[in-house]
Amino acid sequence: MSTVIVLTPVIIASWPTILAAVTGAATALGLVVKETVKQDIKQQQAVEQSVEIELSNSEVLAQNLASGKEVVVAKGDIEIKVGRDERGRCTVCAKGKGHTKAELKQIAEEFSRKMTQCFVYNRVATELKSKGFQMVNEEVMDDQSIRINVRRWVD
Amino acid sequence: MAQHEVEITISKTGEVKVHIKGVKGRACLEYAEWLSNIVGKVKDQKLTSEYYEPEVKSRINLHQQLNDGQ
Repeated sequence: MSTVIVLTPVIIASWPTILAAVTGAATALGLVVKETVKQDIKQQQAVEQSVEIELSNSEVLAQNLASGKEVVVAKGDIEIKVGRDERGRCTVCAKGKGHTKAELKQIAEEFSRKMTQCFVYNRVATELKSKGFQMVNEEVMDDQSIRINVRRWVD
Repeated sequence: MAQHEVEITISKTGEVKVHIKGVKGRACLEYAEWLSNIVGKVKDQKLTSEYYEPEVKSRINLHQQLNDGQ
């Protein structure tokens, strides 16, 4: 053994990269990508509860994201919108009829965790491949973590 | 030729644990720095016994490849 490091993810990416993570998270959690829309808060119905959370350590690179653009994923009566706030942070908003704010917060947090995991996986896998690492093993563990083993030969 | 192995565990919250194997001396720190630049911030780092073994002169050259790839 030589070193073990623990890293806290920071999400700084363009909108297409964020979108790939959103799609991955949606697929993993059984949601479908409904639409990529411009934000229109006025259309939200008053009877629906909604909870918005902000991903800490996140930044969507502004040059690739038109103001107010967002993606919507859905499952049943739950809708999750992922977008970018005015400060450039990535936001996840869950809404749905018949759900309490606490339930929606839990749903939004679960989605943001899965999205972060997908983002990190995509980024790490791409970088490892570009540096000539060979995949030895990849598996999803019982605790839903993803374990990747790679190797590389050097002169 | 030396074999370098990396075991990466991405938790369900996105936190990443990296175990770099087979890399002796300061060379393993180059891997650590490279991966921390990809993922985010270093929360914790432990050097293991292999770090203190004599370094094999191997060309990791991560930064060169990084620049070439851009």
